[in-house]
Amino acid sequence: MKVENAVKEILNKVLDVKPEEIQPDKSLEESFGVDSTEMVEILIGLKKALGVNIGDNELKKAHTFNEIVAILKSKGALI
Amino acid sequence: MNKISITGIGIVSPSGIDKRKFWSNVKAGRSAIERITRFDSSKYTSQIAGHVHELDAYSNVSSRLLKKIDMFSHMGLVGTELALQDAGLDLEKENLDRAGIFMGNALGGWLFAETELRDLYIEGREGVSPFAASAWFPAAPQGQISIKYKMKGYSKTVVADRASSLQAIAYGARTLNRGKNDFIVAGGMEAPVTPYALLCCQTSGMLTQKNDTPKTAYRPYDISRDGYAIAEGAGIVILEPQDRVKNRNAHVYANIIGYGTTTDGVDRIHPAMDGAGLASAIKIALKNAGLSPNDIDYICLDGAGTKTGDITEAMGINAVFNGASKRMIASAPKSIFGNMLGATGALDVITTVLAMEHGIVPPTINVDNKDPECDINLCANTAVERIINNALIINRGRGGINCALVLQKP
Repeated sequence: MKVENAVKEILNKVLDVKPEEIQPDKSLEESFGVDSTEMVEILIGLKKALGVNIGDNELKKAHTFNEIVAILKSKGALI
Repeated sequence: MNKISITGIGIVSPSGIDKRKFWSNVKAGRSAIERITRFDSSKYTSQIAGHVHELDAYSNVSSRLLKKIDMFSHMGLVGTELALQDAGLDLEKENLDRAGIFMGNALGGWLFAETELRDLYIEGREGVSPFAASAWFPAAPQGQISIKYKMKGYSKTVVADRASSLQAIAYGARTLNRGKNDFIVAGGMEAPVTPYALLCCQTSGMLTQKNDTPKTAYRPYDISRDGYAIAEGAGIVILEPQDRVKNRNAHVYANIIGYGTTTDGVDRIHPAMDGAGLASAIKIALKNAGLSPNDIDYICLDGAGTKTGDITEAMGINAVFNGASKRMIASAPKSIFGNMLGATGALDVITTVLAMEHGIVPPTINVDNKDPECDINLCANTAVERIINNALIINRGRGGINCALVLQKP
């Protein structure tokens, strides 16, 4: 599974959004009204799925789908 | 106090979510108590409860939000929607900065919390949902209702054991008397059918152990009673002041006209054995309402279904009503759907306003042999027709809490 697919799967699970609804460069807050607690849940889900850890400071920088994917790849998530 | 009108009701109960279904089941005295199947309750002394069915069919909550909230908030949201619809309120025309929310519950949201605590000990810190902190605490339903409907007025959540929601409704009425809000959504919700919540209830020693006969287990004022059966649910009412009700020509179920509360100061679980604290609360409520005991037609009982609870409740009533209590009739309809703990007062208010509207006293069920120590005119097993102009509702809680609310037919 690609990193992109893993992120889509988690977003679907947490936010009930379909992959085609995700606009990669638009902030999740703007697109889906995501709040900070939901972002924590998304990143906990990604850590479990991909085995990478994203710190609180890095989390604050991730607003879009592409930004989350970029951070995960920089952490060595390869699947 | 100035009259405060009840203009809408929302019911989420084991006897039905729909108002008509609820009243049909309650009027007929059809017990909704069942064995607990949500989890293995075989090691508990009490293994029965009233369960809410068909909540999803009435739900106005998105699946995304459902993952973040406990069942008690879910039931509160459904009850609020039903009550708002019933009152015919158009929130777009309201000043929501002056819309209040007064809720009561005793336990908080343990179905959500227990699952997360288990994950905490098995998986560690990151196994816990980040929503755990905002899902379990008693004021969570108040917050969710506020967010959903953008109600931003003066609001409160009351935690006072089985008297929580009666207190919440009474404080809501007082708040409207002071002119702090235009209208108030008031009531309570409870979700005690979880492993830990049931355990906490069980340790009070007040739950029935008649597990083999769920439908006849909860039997207030019967000589063989051994406690109450818990139940989950929510009861919500819309409160409005008189001038507003007239302006919008709203349907009024009943008016809240008096309230009294006292504490016994005797024991952490049991009430005072002389019923004096309860009698005092009733006297305060009647004085507040400007009524005498002779004016009361119906009493909706606390009906704990414990020996101490029933006898001291009857003592408290008789200390106030004396001969008048022979004319007035009393019942504990919660014997039908179960004791909703912090939400029970709200269901008592709703049951009583429906009784007023229909001119029918709903029964206390399972009274085969009335306890001779309880000298009250009990409506036992079968509903009776009766014009109810004034009614008294009694709720009591652990820690010696006594509450009495007076309702009047419009």
